[in-house]
Order: sequence, then C-alpha cells, then structure tokens
Amino acid sequence: MARYGMALNYKNCINCRACESACKEENGVLLLKDHYRIWVGVKEAEGQFPNISIASQTYHPSQCQHCDNAPCQQVCPTNATYYGKDGMVMVDPNKCILCTYCINACPYDARYVDQRTMTVDKCTFCSDTRLAAGETTTACQATCPTKVRVFGDLDDPNSEISVLLANKEYRQVKEHLGTKPKLFYIL
Amino acid sequence: MNTISLKKLFNFEKTPLNVVMAFVTVALVAAFFAGAVNYILHGHHAYNVTRQHPWGLLISMYVFFVVSSTGLCIISSIGHVFGIPEFQQIGKRAIAGAIITISSGFAVIGLEIGHPVTMLIYNVLTPGLTSAIWWMGTLYGLYLTFICLEFFFLAIKENHTLSKIFGICGLLVGLAAHSNLGAVFGFLVSRPSANGVFYPVYFILSAMITGCYLIFLMYGFRYKMNFPEKVAIMLVKLGKILGMLLAVLIFFEAWKILTALYGDMPERAATILHAIKHPNFWFGELTLGMLIPFVVILLSNAKAIKATVYASLAGMVGIFFMRYGLVHDTLLYPMTTLKRAEYELAPTFVEYFPSATEFAIGLGGIGLSLFLYYLADKIFNLDETAHH
Amino acid sequence: MKVEISRRRFLQGSVAMSVAGGVSLSSSSIMASAATPAKKVGNEDKKVATLCEMCVNKCAAIAHVRNGVVEKLDPNPLFPKSRNMLCARGNAGIKALYDPDRLKYPLIRDGEKGSGKFKRVSWDEAYAYINEKLTKILDEEKDNRSTVAFCAGEGIAEHTFKSFFTMFGSSHFLNHASLCLATTVSGYALTIGGYGQSDLENAKYVIMAGANRAEAIVTPDTMDFFKRTNGRGAKLITVDPRFTNTAAKSDKWLAINVGTDLAFVLALTYVVIKEERYNKAFVENYFNGFDAYKEHILNNNYTPEWAEKITGIKAKDIYEVARDFMAHAPQAIYYQGRRTTWSKNDFQLRRAQAIFSALGGGVDVKGGICFGKSLPLVEHDVVAPMYANAKERIEKNEAAVVGGSGSWVAFRNMVLENRSPYPIRALFNYKHNPMQNMPNNKKTEEFLKKLDLVVTIDTMPSDTVMLSDVILPECTYLERTDPVVSYGGIEPSIAQRNKAIDPMFETKPVMEIMRGLSAKLSKPLFEITKKHDEDVASAIEDDGEETVYKDFDLTKPFMHDQEELNVHAVSKYEGAAEILKEKGVFYPNMNEYFKKLGVNEYEYYPEHKRSYSVRNNKFNTPSGKIECSVPALAKKGIDAMPAWKAEYEMATPAGKFRFITGRHAQFTQSGTANNRLLLNLVPQNYAWINKRVAQKMGIKFGDKIEVSSKVGKTTIKAYPTEKIGPDTLFFVHGFGVYSKALSLAYNNGGNDAAILEDGIEPMHGSSCLHDTIVEIRKV
Repeated sequence: MARYGMALNYKNCINCRACESACKEENGVLLLKDHYRIWVGVKEAEGQFPNISIASQTYHPSQCQHCDNAPCQQVCPTNATYYGKDGMVMVDPNKCILCTYCINACPYDARYVDQRTMTVDKCTFCSDTRLAAGETTTACQATCPTKVRVFGDLDDPNSEISVLLANKEYRQVKEHLGTKPKLFYIL
Repeated sequence: MNTISLKKLFNFEKTPLNVVMAFVTVALVAAFFAGAVNYILHGHHAYNVTRQHPWGLLISMYVFFVVSSTGLCIISSIGHVFGIPEFQQIGKRAIAGAIITISSGFAVIGLEIGHPVTMLIYNVLTPGLTSAIWWMGTLYGLYLTFICLEFFFLAIKENHTLSKIFGICGLLVGLAAHSNLGAVFGFLVSRPSANGVFYPVYFILSAMITGCYLIFLMYGFRYKMNFPEKVAIMLVKLGKILGMLLAVLIFFEAWKILTALYGDMPERAATILHAIKHPNFWFGELTLGMLIPFVVILLSNAKAIKATVYASLAGMVGIFFMRYGLVHDTLLYPMTTLKRAEYELAPTFVEYFPSATEFAIGLGGIGLSLFLYYLADKIFNLDETAHH
Repeated sequence: MKVEISRRRFLQGSVAMSVAGGVSLSSSSIMASAATPAKKVGNEDKKVATLCEMCVNKCAAIAHVRNGVVEKLDPNPLFPKSRNMLCARGNAGIKALYDPDRLKYPLIRDGEKGSGKFKRVSWDEAYAYINEKLTKILDEEKDNRSTVAFCAGEGIAEHTFKSFFTMFGSSHFLNHASLCLATTVSGYALTIGGYGQSDLENAKYVIMAGANRAEAIVTPDTMDFFKRTNGRGAKLITVDPRFTNTAAKSDKWLAINVGTDLAFVLALTYVVIKEERYNKAFVENYFNGFDAYKEHILNNNYTPEWAEKITGIKAKDIYEVARDFMAHAPQAIYYQGRRTTWSKNDFQLRRAQAIFSALGGGVDVKGGICFGKSLPLVEHDVVAPMYANAKERIEKNEAAVVGGSGSWVAFRNMVLENRSPYPIRALFNYKHNPMQNMPNNKKTEEFLKKLDLVVTIDTMPSDTVMLSDVILPECTYLERTDPVVSYGGIEPSIAQRNKAIDPMFETKPVMEIMRGLSAKLSKPLFEITKKHDEDVASAIEDDGEETVYKDFDLTKPFMHDQEELNVHAVSKYEGAAEILKEKGVFYPNMNEYFKKLGVNEYEYYPEHKRSYSVRNNKFNTPSGKIECSVPALAKKGIDAMPAWKAEYEMATPAGKFRFITGRHAQFTQSGTANNRLLLNLVPQNYAWINKRVAQKMGIKFGDKIEVSSKVGKTTIKAYPTEKIGPDTLFFVHGFGVYSKALSLAYNNGGNDAAILEDGIEPMHGSSCLHDTIVEIRKV
C-alpha cells in the first residue's frame, strides 16, 4: 500500500505537450474533442508589445489531482468513483451510470466522458497500464523532456517525491476547497 | 374511474383552444420520440453538453418537472393533508398532475443518464450515501410510490384515511427529495455561485410557486375561464398565497444576488453578475417568472383570476428559465481559466446552447405531461367527488 | 601507348561511401486491428530499441510490440543525446506508422501531371518504367548523367540513397542544407573551426537569437537548459521578433526587428571591444586578425546607439547584455542556432556570433561551445565510377560557395528560366518535399511538371509525391533497421535503429528499393555509357567489358544485409553489435559509466570523462586560431569580416507586414502534417498578428484572412496577440497541404511556401526565408 502523488517542477515546463501525447498513446485516450486526461495550462503573456511581462507567461501541467478528499468521490451515487489501494481516485466503468455529477463536482476539470465506454474517464496515474506492468513511472513523467514530474509514494519518507517536498516550497491548486490534492507544484 | 372506449378517449370538443392544445400536444410528443430516437442512435453526441458544461437542458427540464410535481403535491396537501376546506377540491387534480409531471421528468432524465439500468442495480448494491443525487433519486422513487398510492385511494379505491396517510408520506418524502435536489447543486464546493444553503431552501419555495401556477393553469383550462363560485373562492385564496410566496422569492433572490456580489468574491461575484445581465434572468426569470404574476396579484388584490391564469402562463415560462439558469449559471465559471492550446482564447464563461435533440426531448417532455393529463382527465374524475 | 591511363577517370576517384543494406520483409495487414488502440495491460511480446525519426534529433526509443502491433513508444534512457525523453512528436510515431493515408504500393502516374491520378503497379513494373524513361533520357543526352538530379530530405537512410546518387554519377545532389542551416554551419566552422555543441548543461549566460529551443526542440540542448533557467543557474537572453515559449523562460526578451540580428551582434562586439571587456588572454593567444577586426568594429562605429535605430533594441539593453555576457564568460554562449537562413546577411551574422562568443573565451571549454569527441565507425568503401560525359553542377556560380548539397532555389530557378547550360530532365527524390519546403511553390510545381521523370520515394502522399511520375513507397522508420550512427559530442555514443515490425503492405526500406532499382538499371544504363563515353569504350577495348562493367555496377553498395553492415561498422568495439541490437545504444564503458541518479535523471559519463575540451588550443581553422577575417572569401564577393550594409535594411511599407515563419513543438514541418495525434494537439496553424493592428483592421481571433505576397497567397485563421510586433506576421510552417491524398492535412491552415519569395543569400545560395513582405485581407 502506497500513497501515490506527483510533484511538478513546473518551472521546467516548456509547454511541448509530450506528456499529453504520451498519455493518449499509453492509455488509449481517443482523439476526440474533450478527451484528455492531462494537459498543460498556459497563462498567456500580459502587456503590450514589446513590453511583455516575461514572468506573466507560465505553464501548468495539469491532470487529476487524486485528492485525498475528492469531491468527485463524495458525489458519486453508485460509488463508481472510489479510492484505489494506492490512494488513486479511480472510476469503475461497470458501476458508472454516467450522471456526470462528478464532472460538475471536480474543481479541476479533470474528468470527461469517454465515448468508447460511455463512462467517465480520467487520469489513473497509469495504474492500469504502466504500474500494472511493473513500471514505476507514469507515461507523462517518463517522456518529459525537461523532467517536470516526480511521481512516487508520499508515505515513504525516503522516496524522491517525499524528499523533494520536505525540502522545497510548493503550492497546490484550490486547496482552500479542502480537497487535499496530491499534485504539488514546486516553486 | 370512468370506463371508456378508445374511440371516446380520443374524442373531444373541437373548440379552437382544444384543437390548438391537441396540436401542440401531438407535436411535442412527436418531438419527444424523435429526440429519443436520435439519442438512441447517436448517444450523447446528439447533445451539446461538453466536458466544461456536462449538464444541459435535459437536467433543467428534469428539475422543471420534479419541481412542478413537488409543488403540486405541496399545494394539494393544503386541503388534502392539512384539511383546509376550500383547498380540498384540488386534491385529485393536483396529485394527478404531480404523478404526471414527475413521470415526464423521469422520462427526460432517463434519456440523460447514460446507464439507467446500471443505476437501478448499483443504487442498491453500492449506494453512495454521501451523494445528494443518490438521496434525491431514491427519495423521488419513494415519493412517486407514495403519491401513486395516494391517488389510488383518492380516485380509484376511495379511502380517505389511507390516501391521507400516503399523502403525508408523499409530502414529507417529496420535500426531502426536493431539498436534496437543491443540495445536488448546493453541495458543489467547486461552484461558489451554487454552493451553500440557498438552493435546498429555495427549491421548496419555488416548488410551491410552481404548484400555484399549475393549479391556475389547470383550472383555467378546466373551466374555460368560467369559474364556479367555489372554485373562484379557492383561486382567490390561492392567488393570495401565491402573491406572498412571490414576495418571499423576490426577497430571497435579491439577497442571494446581493450577497453574491458583495465583496466581489472570486468566481462567485463574476458568475452572478454575468448571469443577471443575461435576458434569461432579467426577462425570463425575473419579469416573466416573478414580476408579472406578482404585479397582477398585487394590483387586483388576487381577485383578477383570469389575469392570474394568463400571468401563470408567463410564470411557468419564467420557471423554465429559472431551471435553465440554475443549471447553466452553476456551470458558468470555468474550472480552469488557463488555455490548453496555443490557438485558442483563454477560457471565460462557459457557453452552452441546447441542441435540437435536447430541445426535442426536453420540451417534448411537456407534451408527455399534456398528453398524460388529457388521459387522466378523461379516465378519472379529477373534480371533487360529490359525496366529499 | 594507345591506352591513356589518365583518361580512365572512372578509376580515379575512389569515393568512399559508408553503405547501408537491406532486410528481409513480408507485408502484413494489421492496419485494421491497430486502428483503434485498446487499453493494454502489461505482457508486451517484445521491446525493440529504435531511434525516432519524427524530426532531425533521432531520440532513442523503445517500441513495445504485441502481436506484431507497435502499441507504445517509450523513451530509451540509455542515449546520452536524447536524455531519456520523447517529445510529443516522438510519441506520435505510431500514428505515422498506422496512418491510413500512407503510400502502400508502387504507383505510376495515370493522367495529367498534378491530376493526382495514379495506377497501382508491381515493384518490377515501376522499375521497368523508370528504366525505360531513364535510358531514353540518357541516350538523348549522350550519357550526361547530370541531366538527372537527386534530392533528399534529412534522415539516417538518406545515406543509402546518396550511395545510389554517387554510383549514378550525376553532379546534382540537392538536400535540405540550402533550405536549412548551411550558413550557420559554415559561419561557425570557418570562424571557430566547427559548428560545435553548446554546453547548455553548464553555460551560465546564453543569448538565444531566433533559436527557439522550447518549441524547436534540439537534443540535448532543450532538456539540459530549461532545468536551469528562471533563476536556477543559467541566464537566458532571448532575441526574437516574437515572444516565444523560449522568451517566456528567459531573463530578458529583446524584440528585434526582423533581419537585423547582425547589427545587434556588431553592437555587442563594439561594447566589449571599446570597453575592453573581452577575454584578453584568450584573444591574445587564439585569435587571428583581432586587431584588424577591432579596428573594423570601432571605425565603423557599430555603437549600441547606432544599432538601436536598426534593431529596435534599446542601446542600454545592448550595453547590459554585452557586459553581462563577458562577466559570465567563458561560461557564456551566443547560441549558434540551427535553423533556416533568414536574410541575405545570414552567413556574416553567424560569423559575427561566433567571433563574439569567442571574445569571451567560451570555445572548447566547459560551459561554452564544445566540439566533443566522436566514436569512429568502420567504413565500408565502394569505388564509384566516373562518367566522362557528366557535366558540372549548373548552379555552381549562383553563389560564392555551392557545396555538395547544392543551392535548391538557384537550381530550380535556372531550370525554370532556361538558364541551364544543358537540360535537366529527371529527378530522383527521397523523402523530400520541395513543394512544401522551398519558397514559391508555384515555381516548384512548374519545375516538377517540366521534368520528364520524377521518381519519389516516400512514406506519405505529399504535395511533391502528387507531382511525381513514379512513386516508390518506403516503409516507416519503425519498420526498418537503418545504418548504425555515431553521435559525437561532449558525451559521444553510437545508436542504432532496429526494426520494430516488418514493413507493411508492399513498402520497403530504401536499401531494398535501391537494390531492386539498381539491379534493373545497371546494365541498360551501362549500355548507354558504352555508347557515348569514349573513356569507357576504350577501357572495354583494353580490359574487356566484364572488367569495366564491374566498376559501373550500380548494385554494389546494396548487396549486403543492413544488419550485417551494422555489425561490421562497429566491429572495432567489442560486444557493441549485440548491445546495439538489444539496447539500441552503445559507448565504450557504458556499463561502468551509465548510472541512474534518480527517478528521472541518469549519468552517462562521469564528469571527468566528458569531452568538454578536445582541441588542445588548436582550432580546426586554416590558421588554427579563431578567424576574425576570411580573406579567401573576399575574392568571391563575400565580406572578409562581418559588416553591416545599408542594403540589409528592409523597410516594411505602412499597412504591410514582414513575414516570418518557424516551428513549434508539436509539428515537424510538413512531415507530420497528417499525424492524427499531433493534429489533435494542434488542429491547424494560425497567423500571429499584433492585437492592436488586428483590432484596427476588424480582425478577431479565428477570422479567416488572406495573406498575399508578390508570389502568391494563402488563407489562414488569425491569432491576434501582443506577442508579435505591429509590422510582423508569423505562422508555423508545414500546414496548408495541397495533396488531397493527405486527408487530414489537405487544405488545413496556411501554406508559407505559397507566399515566401525565393531570394537567396550570396554565400551558399541558401534561401532567405524572412525577406518577404505580405499584406493581409479579411475574407
């Protein structure tokens, strides 16, 4: 039993979107509108040419935050959304009735309707693909050119992610909602 | 209960109003089935709902119908459960209306929920007890059972005691179900404009108003505006209740908007400001849904019954915009304002307009209600029975 | 006596070619089963070490193959150059493999040229058709082999195709160099003795001008550098007319007027010379002709104030950058860049950059521009014949130095304008798409139509393919083993692309195609040579036909199996062949040196084994020093020292725009235009136009605009943004494809080849991509 999370050295991110394409290939995400498990959020530059604020343009690799207190899980009428054994927020497609309440409830826009299974789909930290095959990295992490992502066990004090979080300042997204997200953006 | 032949069932007096109503009903029912077929063929592609706006017109129409149902149930209970004499005459008609509207609501939501059969199974096997939808759905199921039994003992096997017991059960469960429906939105911590106590309470209030509007419409149609005295007395009283309820609603809404705007809280203030600037709100919700009926009642001291019937029509259109606004405004503010691709504009308020299929199914649901009401009116005697 | 040995030119040149071979193949039709990827759970049948070919970088990848289907590509951490990564395009390689629009069978044109009508033929029919046309042409042209031109796009197997060219004996080889980095490479090579590799893992101050490493990914530069920007060890100054993703990572962004970089560099140089901030010891010891250069810079008054007027960059910024650069030197780099030629002064710009970098001493030193080591391979030599009647390159006098890769634009225009001294009648094209990559595609189309025979080898039905007479379908990189490649650098290594699956349909690797084609052509073409080449005729008299034919046997380079050749190529490194086959990457002591440092990080060489400094203070230039002046070029009309000329200033008339083009990280030019996954990320290109200008013109985001220049027009959607100046227009290259056979790329977005003017610069005849003025109109 682990408690998986991900730290993101998001200042390394160059918005090349390798992670997005790796995720789609690894997890068979259909190439349709609204189908994406992960994405890179871009805050576009402010100012007027040529006086652009350099610091204003930033890149935020994003995906399901695998909240410890997930709103999507609380609102699911059939418990189709559940906490996996390693703390991942997962969807059981057999139980999903497609009421899409969870999509409304997620503060991170991390969920979508998969047109193949007609159930709600989202990032699984590659648990049914890579982790199940014995890999220790997610597809987005492994492929990243500038090595933004560090995936690992938050409960293991010696894991790279734990050491990183113990030594670096970080911020989380919308933590005021009490979601206890497990994505950490290293400052 | 009347036993009538099929031929007689579809025979009605060909007044212009009746013909228009028949035409509208048939057209809407046809639209419903056309929409349903299109949905069965194309799935959710037939809807304009998106990842950022996962709920649309069909959820609005579901809410519209179940609010109508709960409203009729509450209003009927004034006489039937609480024993206020003037209102006892509306019991059967209102409960029939409640059954009909909630059935239409279920028909519409059945075409929105992706896997209704899975729902029936796992609602029982692995109930999500923290889910407002689970409580709402389960309680509404129970509610429908109660009001059906209530109607059964009212109109078919007359048994006043049992109908009253089931009426009380139906009322309580209906209120619980309905405030849970409010909680479906009120529980959304991610949506500051919806999150909080407002919707669960407001839902009960707006249900009562909807119930009043529908009573006015049903009686207006039933008596072709020539109300017997007993009915007129009841409608004047109902009009006064409606006036008071509208005053409270306007008061509620005003404070909801003011508290949302006050202090310019992120997400909440901008969302509400955006919503109230839209004609859906100030014309649909406010003018049609509240002000016109309120002004008519206020100016006539609730005595202008005919005018109130027409105002109730405006009111129901307004109620539609309230339900539409409830869903759309909740989803207005995007959960992320960052761009995802180079060649796009940064997300602002999420846009949504229902597809033809959604309109067909959603508005077609009204046709279902009209048709079922026509049948109910033919088959059962919905007026007060003589011995009562 | 009658034998004039000297006339037997065909025996003189022993042209060394490292030769590639082929592999056995069987076609399979797994397209259907692979069209929709299913979720997979573990248990891959096999993992194959391959090298990506979605762009120029060649990153190491592991292909996961199950039931003969490539399911996933993962980065191969072993390769020092690609540093355990695959970018968006690398991940999308599978979509190139299973693209339904792929060329599947040999085709011969069956209608007007350009009609898009082709008929399916067998390989043998295709070869026979080529043979028939070619023997006729060469007979009519009296065995002037140069009437047949060869062009090739970039790729590991380009080499194999080039062997065919060399054996064939034409003077015309044209590749991407003159549309790419010819001026940059030679600018640096002639100045500091090599293009080198910027050590961005250790540099402390980097000026990136025009180079957009966040969007135009180059390995290992991109990966090394952006972990250190944003105040984490490396300062970055971005000089670009656009606010790029790279600019967003920099400490300073200088919005420069298009085409004025040279003035900027000269002003930087002026500051450090005037204020004597340069590395005096380094200049003293390793510069040749510094005093003259100093005088040249100072006398011409290349002051920042002067440059401000030209470049639009504030003088105080220029002072600051020049001083900061030298304060961080020698760990300071004026980044070479590696993209297209921009303007007529491009060669001089690169020279000036190189000299400026060297003034800080940041050459052949850790944190500067390094040259690194290479791991030599064993060459497999084949002697190529010489053809007496093959005439010299037609465009050789169109620029000062037209090298072995030619000047594409000059060549094309000479043919079109009937300025060629002899007719050019045929073109063999390998994986090259001049319709898209060469400015003024109307001329390219006319050129291709004018030729009697165009044979194109490619994987996709590109615009150029559609204007060909014979189409030979190549398999994609995942279906073939390619020649093993050695990558020199600070951390050198050898890498090999291993075949992940057998070629699909009737496609073949280029080695196989060349083997079949040369077998068909060899004898008939020799007959033509026999008929017209006196040298050969007399040689036959002397030695007999069989002996002479041996020299002219075109099939020689293609006789061996590719895997066999690869084993031979690395035979000097023990165990390398097996390791390359299994792991895809090899370098001496890999087992000992390669270490995993963390969940993401690997060490390839220990610090003290890295090749930062290799030149021993002697640079690969004529004088062995940094060359401030190249007097030999002056004779050819090329300035010996970088100088600014009034003609370089190109005014943009009011209401018009200077057009610039470029790259971004989800597309590799036209090669990926039909890739479903990449189109999912970026559905089409948009034209960057200044927001305020757009507003004045009533243009909103997504509005369609027509962009037109002197040579043509294209339609594209608008992207109003403040990230570009009011007189500049930009869009990404590679979209707006004309070929209807590319179902997703067809007519998708704007096509820059349609509007770019085809001017060339004087050094190599490279095309100037940023010298076009356009106007726009809302449609």
